[in-house]
Amino acid sequence: MVKVSPEVMIGNFAIARGLVEAGLELAAAYPGTPSSEILPGVVEFNRREKGNIHAEWSTNERCAMEVAFGAALSGRKAVCMMKQVGLNVAFPPLLRGRGKRLEGALVIVCCDDPGPQSSQTEQDTRLLCALFDIPVFDPASPKEAGDIAYYALEYSSRRKTPVIIRSTHRVSHAREAIELYKPGTRKVRLEEGLKLKGGRKLGIVTAGMSHAITMDVVSELGLSNQVSLYKVVQVFPLRERFKVFVESVDHIVVVEETDSTLEMLMGNGNKVFGRANGYVPGAGELTYDVVRGIVERIAEEIGIGKKAFAPDLHIEEALQGVTIPPRPPKLCAGCSHRASFHAMSYAYPEAIFPGDIGCYTLGIAQGAVDTCIDMGGGVTLAAGFYDTFSQDSNVIPILASVGDSTFFHACLPPLYDAVQKRKKFTLVILDNSTTAMTGMQPTPQSGVTADGTHGNSLKIEDVVKGFGVEFLRVLDPYDLSLMMHTLKDAQAYLAGKDSAPAVIIARRVCLLSGKGKDHQFLESIDLEEDCTGCKTCITGFGCPALSFDEEKKKVKIDDALCIKCGICLYVCPRNEKGKSLSMFKGKRTPKRPAQN
Amino acid sequence: MNLEIVCAGIGGRGVLLASTIIIEAAVRAGFHAMASDEYGMSQRGGSVVSLVKIGASQSPLIGRENADILLAFEESEFYRNLVFLKKGGLAIVNTAREVLPERINNLLVERNNKCFLIAADDIAKEKGMIQASNMAILGFFSYFGIGPYNRESLLETLKERTKGKFLEKNVDVFQAGFRRAEDKVIVVQEKKMEDSLW
Repeated sequence: MVKVSPEVMIGNFAIARGLVEAGLELAAAYPGTPSSEILPGVVEFNRREKGNIHAEWSTNERCAMEVAFGAALSGRKAVCMMKQVGLNVAFPPLLRGRGKRLEGALVIVCCDDPGPQSSQTEQDTRLLCALFDIPVFDPASPKEAGDIAYYALEYSSRRKTPVIIRSTHRVSHAREAIELYKPGTRKVRLEEGLKLKGGRKLGIVTAGMSHAITMDVVSELGLSNQVSLYKVVQVFPLRERFKVFVESVDHIVVVEETDSTLEMLMGNGNKVFGRANGYVPGAGELTYDVVRGIVERIAEEIGIGKKAFAPDLHIEEALQGVTIPPRPPKLCAGCSHRASFHAMSYAYPEAIFPGDIGCYTLGIAQGAVDTCIDMGGGVTLAAGFYDTFSQDSNVIPILASVGDSTFFHACLPPLYDAVQKRKKFTLVILDNSTTAMTGMQPTPQSGVTADGTHGNSLKIEDVVKGFGVEFLRVLDPYDLSLMMHTLKDAQAYLAGKDSAPAVIIARRVCLLSGKGKDHQFLESIDLEEDCTGCKTCITGFGCPALSFDEEKKKVKIDDALCIKCGICLYVCPRNEKGKSLSMFKGKRTPKRPAQN
Repeated sequence: MNLEIVCAGIGGRGVLLASTIIIEAAVRAGFHAMASDEYGMSQRGGSVVSLVKIGASQSPLIGRENADILLAFEESEFYRNLVFLKKGGLAIVNTAREVLPERINNLLVERNNKCFLIAADDIAKEKGMIQASNMAILGFFSYFGIGPYNRESLLETLKERTKGKFLEKNVDVFQAGFRRAEDKVIVVQEKKMEDSLW
């Protein structure tokens, strides 16, 4: 083994490093937290090794998997990466392709999100692997994730079958010093097996990050000599040694994320403490405190330990006197999406707002997002809402919103479907020219490739026009007056006969991307001067730079966060700019009778 | 040695850069170290917590009342993460306050915590770079010389991690934070002779 000095990196980069060292030839991914950094890692290590790996951002996960599959079928070592719900999008090729004999190799890296912290649902990829007979590995640390990436590519190549590496956000986003090896020289042995030998009274089965946490907890509680602990790395197919371990102990507790995959696979009913009998929580992340609670409780019940940790509740008592501001997820100060959502909910407070998945899901705080089902779902839900209301002869404005990356990912068939069937709703495409929430990955429109060079660019308006949309406007959402005017125009257009959906592209580059940083904004914001303390800007607009000064009874601007975009001045009912928009203000009315 | 450190603040204010320097300085000194970051869905302005563990532990996660050190880059995040701090642990809080609310103060005395308040935002503002308040905290922290962390080791890692015009400002603010600790800790220690506050 030829080692280079270790480097601190996140788990996702460690995975990328392992793949590159194992001779990867093609990588394709769609960004999704917590998986998004693996492809940039592949690009980085390929550059350092002066390799010839083809790496690309795909339009969606299905494209990523099919491209990788094509390469694997024709003899290449390929990988595709996605988050857990992204695997749902890639299901068709996965289910049919899992039985194909590969000429090359295919590794699918799927990162789960216990909690969930940044997804709509928790979902255990390992469970799908067990259901559909796909080998799956569950690493417990960044270092192990890198080793397993190396191992999995070789495993797939040897066995001619696709395999899955299931990471979780705590592994993907943990940081650790990683040894780098010369490509092709790493020696990996799966670190599966007995890690603690403390007799047969209590056996603990662990996998993934839950293993690392359980080891720390057992050590803190002083139980290392009183329990036996088996760490699973290859969750499916399970190894014989694991089954022997399960037989060899009197009681078993299973500490695994996200669902009960090992618990289900091992059976053994009565002697198991797990999710089925309520010892392990059925949902949510297994944090250090949760694991400590589980192990303490069981150790006490079977008489090998006493409750050692008692929380000091004085802390909570002392904190009662302090106000800790809640920090729900918010759009950035100055985000152009906030301006778009303000226009939508100001002009049409009574509308139905089908939303979608991305930064702009956070428009829910402004009352401009009502639904958030799956990527692209907002467009088709809007069509379904329209059908429902028109069946009842109700006319209710429907204002759907979707981001630019999601538009390409999942909205093309839904929009085409809506145009073809003349569904009356307005679709606002919030185009910030990047995939912002997952960390600024390029979109098909930006035309930037995975390694940062310029490639082919596909304009959203060209696609929309191509589908036959008649009402199409492109505007800057910072121009609130124009935005509101256009929303009214769209509604007037939809009132006509035979109209198709109206599409508004609200375009302004994300503030966090390189280009977004160049804009010239106002010198200062005079919101504080005539403030009467009505809080309209705080409650309805929700810019993180605005807070309420309880002593002065006035709004306060945080200079470190404020970028001086001045949009809040249009929200202020006292400010001249705010007053200028009052002509667009919509009323929240009960369901209106049919109009003809 | 085992050391558990919680870095807490809000997004866009350099919590992750600070914890990066903390983990890398430990690795440079030959320790096994791991970090885990939690930053939720907000790109800016949300709660950010970065946990760093040094030593023999296997996971980067920290349990309630287990952290040796709590570095709070924002006052309200100090309160939110106070349950992590163990008895006798050290806390450094970025705040313009001179004293903490009485009940909190009493709690810290009862739990034998050493807690220092530092107006890191003001220090950074004086140096013309309000975003660098994280460096004032790091500079202050470096004064205590805990484990692999001292002025030299953190500055060296900082120099590797930041480049160009930011480096100079960051170093400036870091040094100012260190000097603040010199003044403040000496004052507190003298006071300790009188009323053994901490």
